[in-house]
Amino acid sequence: MNMASANIIEIKNLVKKFGDFTAVGDITLDIKKGEIFGLLGPNGAGKSTTINILLGLLPATSGSVFVNGIDMKKNPDKAKQEIGVVTQETVVEPELTATQNLMLFGRLHHIPVSELQKSIKFALDLSGLTGFKDAFAGTFSGGMKRRLETAKALMHAPQLLLLDEPTTGLDIQNRTQIWNLLREINKKQNVTILMTTQYLEEADQLCNRIGIIDHGKLIALGTPAELKRKIGMSSMIEVAAEKDNLAKVAAVFKKAGLDPQVLTNKVVAPGGSNAVDKVQKLMRALAAAKISIQSVSMHEPTIDDVFLKLTGSSVRDQTGSADMEKAATAALMGRGGSR
Amino acid sequence: MSIIEDTFTLFTREMLIFKKNIGTNIARGLIFPLVFIILLGAFGSSPKNVPVALVNYDNSAASLSFINMLQSGGSIVVTSATTQAQAMSELGSGQVAAVVVIPAGFSHTLGSASVYTYLDNSQPQSAGVVSGVVQNVASHFNAQSVSGSQAAAPASGVSVVSNYAYGAGSNYESFVVGGIIIMVAAFGAMFGSGFTVISDRQLGNLKTFLTTPINKYSILLSKIAYGTVQSAFSAYIGLTIGLLYGATIAAGLLGFIELLWIILLVGLGFGALSVAMATRAKQLQTYALISQTITMPLAFLGGAFVPVTLLPAFLRPLAAVNPLTYAVNATRDIMIKGYLPIGTLVLASAILLVFAGVMVALAVFFFRDTSKQI
Repeated sequence: MNMASANIIEIKNLVKKFGDFTAVGDITLDIKKGEIFGLLGPNGAGKSTTINILLGLLPATSGSVFVNGIDMKKNPDKAKQEIGVVTQETVVEPELTATQNLMLFGRLHHIPVSELQKSIKFALDLSGLTGFKDAFAGTFSGGMKRRLETAKALMHAPQLLLLDEPTTGLDIQNRTQIWNLLREINKKQNVTILMTTQYLEEADQLCNRIGIIDHGKLIALGTPAELKRKIGMSSMIEVAAEKDNLAKVAAVFKKAGLDPQVLTNKVVAPGGSNAVDKVQKLMRALAAAKISIQSVSMHEPTIDDVFLKLTGSSVRDQTGSADMEKAATAALMGRGGSR
Repeated sequence: MSIIEDTFTLFTREMLIFKKNIGTNIARGLIFPLVFIILLGAFGSSPKNVPVALVNYDNSAASLSFINMLQSGGSIVVTSATTQAQAMSELGSGQVAAVVVIPAGFSHTLGSASVYTYLDNSQPQSAGVVSGVVQNVASHFNAQSVSGSQAAAPASGVSVVSNYAYGAGSNYESFVVGGIIIMVAAFGAMFGSGFTVISDRQLGNLKTFLTTPINKYSILLSKIAYGTVQSAFSAYIGLTIGLLYGATIAAGLLGFIELLWIILLVGLGFGALSVAMATRAKQLQTYALISQTITMPLAFLGGAFVPVTLLPAFLRPLAAVNPLTYAVNATRDIMIKGYLPIGTLVLASAILLVFAGVMVALAVFFFRDTSKQI
């Protein structure tokens, strides 16, 4: 198709239905060559389904996916060669050594035997595991496994590296290492990166652009700065209180001319142009109404706040719709109630 | 990039994992045969209603009385054959477990008479029963027990001349081991193939393989190949234990190769069956339950423990459509009869190949939509 495209991924009107359940409802999205793109969304929003279609693991109900100009539906084997994948489950073979792990994936990607040693050396250097090349992957730490897996995904020199929640379950030190590795891959190898994450500060720090998916639709797209601007450049005001008092606190927010969002243990709202004045007003009003609170704070807006504003919930306490998606999938596959 | 190349890549992976876990694999290979050899070795069953063909060339009151006494215990069921040749052909085809011949002149030479038995030693339990019954009747048989015979004669009994149908001596160990190695081969394939399909799916390996540009059916083929190796590995451990225990391979060195051929075919068929099941079963528990529910009865009905001729009539048709029946017949022929049983071998090969073919087709059919595998 159009090989000279500036986009590594072109998703057009993508729809995926499982029976009556629409997991992905008409998503159109381009990912530019060279960028680090973050795909965010609550669990069950359609993120994984979209990724699986991108990887050629699921057929789309309608719409199209092009990877570097190659139609995933018509030419999946060629399209797959353009993508390196790091899945959510860390898939390194514990019973194989680092070298054997790399060898296996090199061969699965049809790297010619003559070039295999070079690719393995490249991957070992990249992951910093040269000193452990003959150690069994089962003896590695979580961070080492993730690095091995990332390097493994890059052996066949793909144009796009796709990572599904690459730092989930890692401690902050390992997470920082992975971030640095991804930045290095993006800059030095000139590989486009598409990642999903549930850590919003990760998306904020790492990604050039962010797309937010909810209920199978793309509800926001832009640079982190652009998205933050959407909810106003002002500071966020946060009041924590007992659960029973949250509604009352929210009512006081409204009276003060704020637009509050109620979470499980706090009420949050963008402060607007004179946030400090509003906080003082708010405190007086709360005291006058004799509503007891636990704390008051202000912070610069984060992607968390953007996410909250757009989806109406915090990213990590959503499970309901994920279960729905699972149930729909199970029903479709005739495996209902197997758990 | 061919499917064969992809299969080889994935098969290499299976073998590296197999090598890493070699200790566990050997232990697993040892446990089954040991348990079954101990169990079956200790309890050689004593069957009832063993079919026997009887050729009566004497046709006297004495011989009829002898026949009645043979049947009175209920251990054997006698059918009469007109000629010894006819009886022997029934023996050869496994319709009866023994032939008893009462020679002409039996009634005139009482006291020094002989009956001749031909025992199918590939069915040692049955042969043992027939041999025991005939010996017992013969030693107690005397002129007094013959009503209307000539005047009282000294009761010195009748002697029995026993012949074995097949070259090597009757060998219960070989009988047991011949069945066990087939059962172990089937179990090994079920464990190697399907089990790892499910664990690979649960660990996310299957999904990762599917994101690479391989031919997806190479995943199935590598699993079936691995199951076949696992199956031969287990069966040969079982055979080694069996040989130490006292089994023999009458066909000699060639028998080793013939056994390997049969075992590989069993591994292939059951590997494919287990992969077909694993493409549908989501949980390991479900898979384990189904595979046991299938494999155990098949092994039993296939004569791995008890000869098929001793199965109750209503189970015989099930034995006839069970591929393991033919595999077990083949291993017993190789180990006990000692000649190249080309007929059994061809029949077993054909049936096992058809079975494997159908199972591979089923696995491919289930695997064509891989969206269910991620």
